[in-house]
Amino acid sequence: MNHSIMIMCEPSGGRILPVTHELIFCASLIANRYNSRITAVLPGNIAGVAPISGADLLIINSPGLAQYTCEGWEKAALLAAEQIMPDIIIIAHTSTGYDYAPRVAALLEGGCITSVAGIEFTPDGIRYRRSGFHGKLDLLYKAEKTPLVITVLPGAFPAYDQPAKPGTVSYIDADINPLYTSNLQFMIPDQSNPELEHAEVIIAAGKGIGKAENLQMIREMASCFNRSAIAGSRVACDNGWIGYNAQVGLTGQKVAPLLYVACGISGSMQHIAGMKDSKTVVSINRDPDAAIFRYSDICIVEELEKFIPEFIREAEKHRA
Amino acid sequence: MKILVCIKQVPDQESRPTVNQVRTWAGYAENASYWINRYDEHAVEEALRIREMIPGTVIDILSIGPERVKSAIKRCLEMGADRGFNLFYDRDDYLSPSIKSRLIAEFCQSEKYDLILTGVMSEDMMSGQTGPMIAARLGFPSAASVVKLEINAEKQSIQVERELDSGHRCSMELALPALIAVQSGINRPRYPSLSNVMRAKNTGIKEIRCTGSLPASQYETVERISEAGSDRAGIRLAGTTAEKAAALWQLLHEKSLI
Repeated sequence: MNHSIMIMCEPSGGRILPVTHELIFCASLIANRYNSRITAVLPGNIAGVAPISGADLLIINSPGLAQYTCEGWEKAALLAAEQIMPDIIIIAHTSTGYDYAPRVAALLEGGCITSVAGIEFTPDGIRYRRSGFHGKLDLLYKAEKTPLVITVLPGAFPAYDQPAKPGTVSYIDADINPLYTSNLQFMIPDQSNPELEHAEVIIAAGKGIGKAENLQMIREMASCFNRSAIAGSRVACDNGWIGYNAQVGLTGQKVAPLLYVACGISGSMQHIAGMKDSKTVVSINRDPDAAIFRYSDICIVEELEKFIPEFIREAEKHRA
Repeated sequence: MKILVCIKQVPDQESRPTVNQVRTWAGYAENASYWINRYDEHAVEEALRIREMIPGTVIDILSIGPERVKSAIKRCLEMGADRGFNLFYDRDDYLSPSIKSRLIAEFCQSEKYDLILTGVMSEDMMSGQTGPMIAARLGFPSAASVVKLEINAEKQSIQVERELDSGHRCSMELALPALIAVQSGINRPRYPSLSNVMRAKNTGIKEIRCTGSLPASQYETVERISEAGSDRAGIRLAGTTAEKAAALWQLLHEKSLI
């Protein structure tokens, strides 16, 4: 079996976003093993796109694809799949990817595995790894139906940077128009948070802090460090404990400080995607099985309300 | 309007899953606590708010699972939903979102919903597939990760705002019927009122056996489950709280971080 592989490029404003090259890397692992052909599909209304390294480019050219719509991307993917006849369709697990990828799988009656973090090979074929059960266990999936649609977590694979000969470029001129979607508008709310962006130390609070009053303790811990800032997980922001401009994760800010201290954060994939490049990670959580400990250099199983004041006292002792 | 809210009952985040003998699935202890998936609770709240705007709206709750999921459905009735349905499934194994969405789409055929609401994903498995798949199977438009919605009854449409990556957002209008997968933060779910608790006591939950309509072949399977590997050193500090605090200070000091 050769495995024909189809990738959906992640375009934004007329260019191909870097995450696309991570998808190509993922596809190249399979292609190298099975001598597969990789076709990257670009939905859009774009002329004169340069060929890309590692894959042939197929542009679905339609005025109705000037901007992302779920139905537009779905139709572009189905149209491309008709031509490519892929065994595997690889899509980025981004806000666009998880919006339409499951629909494509359902309409092609194929398998579907989302937020894939790795792939493995067995004599019996490819396996796809993702975490589940609150991130506490690793699950290895096997496709039982083709095509298989997978969404790949941003950052799970490096960008493809082999000096391979650029692939071919071909076009399908289509007339795809959204039937159910109208009045599309994109907004960029002011979420800037210079303090967080420039912080060398981030103390982040999660669901585990339990109540707004405990944020004071997080602030005091942050003040033990130079150039520090506080941040929060999605739950901490949803509860109104911390502003959304300090939310760390896939949909919030991506940070990479020298030190990241996760306080009462369970460690969902969404959160990890926002902080996994931090130099040193310390986690404090009362649940000894919390997923965050997998991504931590130093793990502390403790109640926050007991441990943090103790740490602050310790720091003050040394400062005195 | 007729609204369906699909909910999942999930185990408490701090419960420890036990992998089965053949390492293909994991279960929880008898006394584990379960509740409504947080994202789905927001979906229920959103349905209740629509009903407050559009009197006469009927809200149905549906959940796939064993007997215990009825307590999650009941909680939704206590919040104010009208009817509860349990697609009974009691095997402790991997049930593909492809199959779940087929069962739910089949259920919807006879009910003709104007709007289907779900959470954007489940807290435990985080696949985020079932909602969009239901929509695709019914030919509905859908939007995932919605943080704001408003029905336009006259135009038979719904105005939604989606959360995109890095804090960006986009808004759009979708024609009804549609499926909306809501993100947390869209609202604050209410607590059940006493009158609704009393009413829910007398509201039966309809059980529908779905084992007969399960497809013969799988879409994808879980072949092996392992303890999650670690990406980092993961030193666990030992001792009393004070000893751990001192050890942490020392380690950070050695790295010149404090």
